[in-house]
Amino acid sequence: MSVRKLAVIAMLGLSSVAILALVAAMGASRASAQIREYTPPKTADPGADWTKRIEEILPPGVESRAEATARIAAYKPDPGKYPVPRTSWDGKPDFSGVYWPDATVSPPPMPLEPLYRPEAREYREHGGAAAGLIDWRGIDTPNYHCWPPSPVVGSMGGTVQLVSAPGYLLLLNEGGSYFRIIPIADERGPQPSAARKPSYQGSSVGHWEGDTLVVEVTNFNGKPWLGPAQAPNRPPQTSSDALRIVERWSRPDAQVFEYRAVVEDPKMLTAPWTGAADRRGMVPYDTVQESLCFLDPELDARHREFAARQTKNKTGAGGR
Amino acid sequence: MSRRWTAIVVGALVVAAALFIGARMAMNDTGAPERAATGTGSFAARTPWGEPNLTGVWKGVPLGASAGRDTFNLAKLEALYTPAARTRMKELSAKDDPTMRCAPPAFPRAAMLGHPVQIIQRPGFAFVFTEAYPVFRIIPTSGRPHTSKQYLFPTYMGDSTARWEGDTLVVDVMSFNDEGWLASPDDKPTNGSTGVWLTSDAMHVTERWHRVDADTLEYQARVEDPKTLMTPWETPTVTFTRQAVERIEEVLCRPEDGPETYLARLGS
Repeated sequence: MSVRKLAVIAMLGLSSVAILALVAAMGASRASAQIREYTPPKTADPGADWTKRIEEILPPGVESRAEATARIAAYKPDPGKYPVPRTSWDGKPDFSGVYWPDATVSPPPMPLEPLYRPEAREYREHGGAAAGLIDWRGIDTPNYHCWPPSPVVGSMGGTVQLVSAPGYLLLLNEGGSYFRIIPIADERGPQPSAARKPSYQGSSVGHWEGDTLVVEVTNFNGKPWLGPAQAPNRPPQTSSDALRIVERWSRPDAQVFEYRAVVEDPKMLTAPWTGAADRRGMVPYDTVQESLCFLDPELDARHREFAARQTKNKTGAGGR
Repeated sequence: MSRRWTAIVVGALVVAAALFIGARMAMNDTGAPERAATGTGSFAARTPWGEPNLTGVWKGVPLGASAGRDTFNLAKLEALYTPAARTRMKELSAKDDPTMRCAPPAFPRAAMLGHPVQIIQRPGFAFVFTEAYPVFRIIPTSGRPHTSKQYLFPTYMGDSTARWEGDTLVVDVMSFNDEGWLASPDDKPTNGSTGVWLTSDAMHVTERWHRVDADTLEYQARVEDPKTLMTPWETPTVTFTRQAVERIEEVLCRPEDGPETYLARLGS
């Protein structure tokens, strides 16, 4: 929005206040006695920045994802130079900050695909139809349906905000406005419960192992895909309601956080799979912004029509 | 007569929702998930850094209006609309409500849904999460100014900043887009009600959040919208009750999540 447009709005606001004051003065009966004085809210000065950014990892001007990713991957965390921030209430590492983008520090020790059970093939061939998708060979992916990002990457999208608060780690995604609320076990109090409705992002329960936050995520709804959309002739890497993920969150220094997940899904996989170790660098904003994901009903209707036609054609040709 | 029909429709919806949820639970084969008996969130009156502690999962009661019954001061709101706004409102109907396409309702409308909200605080910030729609609010509590114009753009939930007035968190919200409605299409306080509740991008909301005791949170809002309302409108005080859980449910507003959240709204 342009400054000029804002100025017009501000002027409109101001003049309305003046009119309101006149109206109030003319007829006290119109204005409710409980209405308080209104001072138009101020906005911060342009360029105001509440984050104490350390500019070594992402200096101003680094705006291409490729360059940022390369810098973050090559970065050597230095807690001596950039001490790990700690919370005032329990002295544990404070993850709070806005981070972008994700860089792989070390790749998965082995690929995911060979771990899939052969007997899960048919379920996968149906594209997770049970999960509500209708045409995985086309554009019908979790992403298209506005489902949260894969739990293998912590349900994290492009830009994320982490928040440490007493008893919680919060994950706020900028893309889609998805969030995770991760209760952290306190050895003195009652343990957090994972019991609630099965969900896309599962139920998280965290506990500290030294300075690493270990989060166990269970109670998934069987819908998320573990990997990205595959080539058209390869079935999606579906998950089941038996999915269990153990995440390790750490803060090597004040500039970055690191994440790695171990994935178990006995109904889909023959053995646990270790995902990539990811690192994300802090960027100079202290909040993410509202950015919602909407499934376009019109596009959705056209898509369903297309899928129905495909099914009919297949049936006409004697099936596959 | 209309009240009777409302009761019948509401009753039918409740039964349908119960059946639907029951069926989904059976399908998921996990048994009925029980709410946890206790929460880990601190119930202490103050945070470790000395602010009133609003942390918790809080549930309100459904509020609204039908002829003869108005629990959200909506007859007053209806009377405040400008003639120009009224003209536009007559051209719209229930299907134009942005929540029909899963756009999140902003507060104060979100406070009248009766669904849980969760508040979590850290020094300088409060975070509000709603269960009815998957969306979060980030509220600076240090009294700092709104987001700078450089980054400010119109949104569904608006841009918040807050300060403590005694033990009450006073939140100032602006920079709304002009799409949100202040109430639901079902809310018709008078016989002439259209059920359309427009807002403009000039809307300014002042909210007051106050924890009365360990289990009670009060919410009240004033809405100014000089482009659509002749004078500001005040909501009644909404009372939220603490829920003994650590977090709200994940409920996405998606077609496959069931007819009660999407398809029914689309009317298909």
